[in-house]
Parts: sequence; structure tokens; C-alpha cells
Amino acid sequence: MNDVFSARRFGWLMRKVFLDKTTPVLGTILLCFTVTLIFYGLTRLLQGIPTAQNGAFTIGLPLGGTLVASVVFGYFNNNAVGTSFLTLPVSVFEKWLSGVLIVGVLYFFLFLLFFRLIDTAFVAQYHSGLNPHSPYYKEQYEYVQLFSLTGFTARVNYMMFFNFAGMMMLGSLFFNKAPFVKTALAICVLIIATFLLNLLVINLLIKNVQIAFPFSVVWIWVGTDRAALNLSPENESRIRFIFCFVLPSIFWGLSLLRLKEKEF
Amino acid sequence: MIRFENFCFGYKPGALLYRNLQLSLESGKIYGLLGKNGAGKSTLLKNLTGLLYPSSGQVSVNGFNPSGRKPSFLQTIYFIPEEVHVPALTINSYVALWAPFYPGFSREMLDNYLDKLDVKTDHKLNKLSFGQQKKFIIAFALACNTNVLIMDEPTNGLDIPSKKRFRKLISSSMHEDRLIFISTHQTRDLENLIDQVIIVDNGELLLNAPVDIIGQKLSFKIVEESYAAQAVLYEEENMYGRAVVTANIAGGESRINLEQLFNAATENPEMVKAIFKN
Repeated sequence: MNDVFSARRFGWLMRKVFLDKTTPVLGTILLCFTVTLIFYGLTRLLQGIPTAQNGAFTIGLPLGGTLVASVVFGYFNNNAVGTSFLTLPVSVFEKWLSGVLIVGVLYFFLFLLFFRLIDTAFVAQYHSGLNPHSPYYKEQYEYVQLFSLTGFTARVNYMMFFNFAGMMMLGSLFFNKAPFVKTALAICVLIIATFLLNLLVINLLIKNVQIAFPFSVVWIWVGTDRAALNLSPENESRIRFIFCFVLPSIFWGLSLLRLKEKEF
Repeated sequence: MIRFENFCFGYKPGALLYRNLQLSLESGKIYGLLGKNGAGKSTLLKNLTGLLYPSSGQVSVNGFNPSGRKPSFLQTIYFIPEEVHVPALTINSYVALWAPFYPGFSREMLDNYLDKLDVKTDHKLNKLSFGQQKKFIIAFALACNTNVLIMDEPTNGLDIPSKKRFRKLISSSMHEDRLIFISTHQTRDLENLIDQVIIVDNGELLLNAPVDIIGQKLSFKIVEESYAAQAVLYEEENMYGRAVVTANIAGGESRINLEQLFNAATENPEMVKAIFKN
């Protein structure tokens, strides 16, 4: 018997997860989609489609994905449920993989599909509302385009999604009660602490610092103007690589180790 | 077979609950684990199922190390915790989702056990009362035909007729390859059911003896007020007079009262250990 992976057993597990956790998993996914749709619709009215696209994508993917990630391993706020999950005759790897597939593959691609659909609808509605005889028709038409899923904003959101979702999966295996709230607080503390520590170190090294963003840019005052000290392209690509690939791999990998070591 | 060798466990480093526990359990028997609240009963069971890991020493269940939580191990053991959870599924859906993980599962047996425990429903399981849910899980666990069945306070939440049915069902489902380990503090629920009694207190093993040996080594009797013939391990006043537990020096066998046995072991652990040492 293969104690690491069996396709048949994994199939049973996925079927069980979907039917047993229909409400929490699919419910959370639907909630994220609904919030994304509402946010897009409202922001479009108030600030226009380009802002709505960026905001809704961030709300739906990194934030929604983080919420879904907190649900997939949310077995441990109840003794009976946690015990049942850990003693189910399935390997630790398969249990972990079920969570990874739901968050990293299912939610990720479902969200992209959903977002493309609503984006297409809103953009088409905007375009159809334009007056083709207006002298500004071409500018107005080109001002609003479909959100690029390979553009800079999308890539930053993918990076945030894989980092935050990994952290949340790890957090939901550390905290038995209210894992979403506790992990979200831990992430906020980590970000604020990194920001402040970075600012402190930069202030010790450079004078006239206006603001400093970790791993990206330091703004300094030069007289009454401000200037940016950017990372060299070489270091920037290293940092990007770390945030895009190394850190997510660490967080998602650590969640496998944590699940293996989980005592309950 | 279950084996604890030099088993140590503590929830906090430096504060061990169990120290160098040596314990061996054989297949073909029903073991009753007795202990006060917080004595470490559930801790012991969780170490058996791989939900907790020993601080040092070894736990082995039919040759498996439970901490690995391998599927090949988990499909041979079923653990029913004190609080059970059933999803919003019908019996058929539950069986369709859970049973494939247990190769020995028998639908026929499940239906038979459900019938014996008087669990009948076409509705979703989460609509049942807690007692009915627990009976369903007990029936399902038995129908999985695992070699080891571990139950933590299985009779909590069961009504009086159900407790009787539970005892009958456990007895009838027993066979020589199966080991059933039942933890409880409701000693009366295990009377006439278990083959061997294990008593723990503060992480210490006070007694591990078969019921027949206990009957031979200890005497449970009603005596007169002035009785002072031998050292009394435990005594209490009840409606029949003064009930005492003493060493059995007269020979013969007396009917075991698990509650009195438990009190004797926890109040006079050294005397009880000395009696069962030989």
C-alpha cells in the first residue's frame, strides 16, 4: 500500500471534502465572488472602471483567496471534526494536496474566469453606452479596456495571493480557534514591523528620509523636492523572485510540515 | 497488539503527565480504561491514534508507530472521541463518502448494528439527537471492522436502554483479532463487558489486570460495622450496610464492583499495586 499518494484514495478524499465541506468551501468562494462583484459595481459608479478593475481584482484574489485558504484546513475549531480529519485513513500529503488544489488551483482559476466574465460584461456595457458620434469616442473607448491578466497589477496580485494564502494555510494549522482573524493579525503585525524596522534602519544609514518601502524604494528630501532611491535592477529581480517563488514555496511547504506535525 | 514502552508524555516541557509507562494490550480483549477527570485517559487514547506524540518512549499499535498517521495504520484503527460530529448527510451519503477508506467495511453489518441500536432515519444525520448521532458513529465504527477500536466515553449521551444495547453490541461484535479499548469514568456502563481493567491516575498506571484475576485477588463484600479482620482498601456505606474492598485471602471469587475497585485503587494505590504485583 502506498502510504504517500494513491490516486484512488485521493479521489475519495476530494469527493468527501467537496460533499462534506460544501457549505464552508463553496459558500466562501461564492461569498468572495459576490463581494468582488459588488465592489466592482460600486467602485465603477464612483471612480470609474480602471479603478474598479484593480480594486475588485485585489479584493477577490489576494483577500478572497486568503479567506478560502483559512477554510480548507478549518477543521480544528471543533474536537470531533479535527479528530475525524486527522484520523481519516489518507496520507498527510494527500490531505495537504486537497487544500492546495482547492486554494491554489480551483479558487485561483475559478476567480480568474469569474473576473474575466464580470469584467467583460462591465467593459462591454461601458463601450455600448458611448456615443459613437462623439468626437471623443475613440479616446473614451480606449480609456477602458479589459483588465490584463498578465499585466503588472495582476502579477503583483498573484504574488500577494500566493504569499497570503500560504500564510493563511499555515496559520489555520497553528491556530485552532478563529484562525482567519489570528493569522490576519499576525500578517498585519509582520508587515507593520517590517515597514518600521526598514524605516529605522534606513534612517540610521541615510539622512532626510521621507518614507521607505521595504525591498523597493526609499524617498528622500533633496531641498524641497523628493527623490527616489530605487533598488538596482539586478537586486530588484532577485527580490521579485524571492517574493514570487521562494516565499510562497516556503509558506505552502511549511503548511505540509505543520500538518504532519499537527497534534490535536 | 498495543505496546507502550517507557512512554513519557507532557503537554508542557518539563511537566510530564506520564513517566516511563509500560503497558501491553492484546488482541481479542475488551479493555476498560478508568480514571478521574483529567487523569490522562484521553491523552493515552490520543497517543494511540497519533493525535498526540509521546515526549519520549515508544507507542506501537500492531507494529505501526501511530505518530506517522499513515493510511495503512489509520485504516486499522477507529477512534470515537467523546464529542462526535456528523455532517449534513444521509446515512447512504455518509457511507458512500467514508466507507471506501476502510477496506473491511460491511454495509450489511452497519444496517444490522443500526437496527440493534435502534437508529432509523432517512433524513440527514445532523438532524438526529446527540445520542442517536453517537449511536450511528458507534455502529459505523464497528462496521468498519478495524482491528483496533478506541472509544472515549462512548456511553455519554446515551439513554439507559441504549447503554444496555451498546454493551450487548460490543460483546457480540468482539472477535479474537479485535482489540477494543474503552475509556470512561462511568464505571457501571462497563460492568459485565470488559475483560481487563486499566486504572490510571495523574498519569500513573495504578492497575492493569484481567477481571477474573481481580475477582480472585480482591474481595468485594458487605460486612458488619465492627469488621476489622483485615486491612480495608476501600469502604463505603450503602443501603445494604458497610461495603468494603479487601485483599482476597479466603479464596473463592466475588463479584467485582468497578466503582469500588476504582475508589480502592485511587485511594490506596500502593496497597493495590502490592496485591497485584505477585
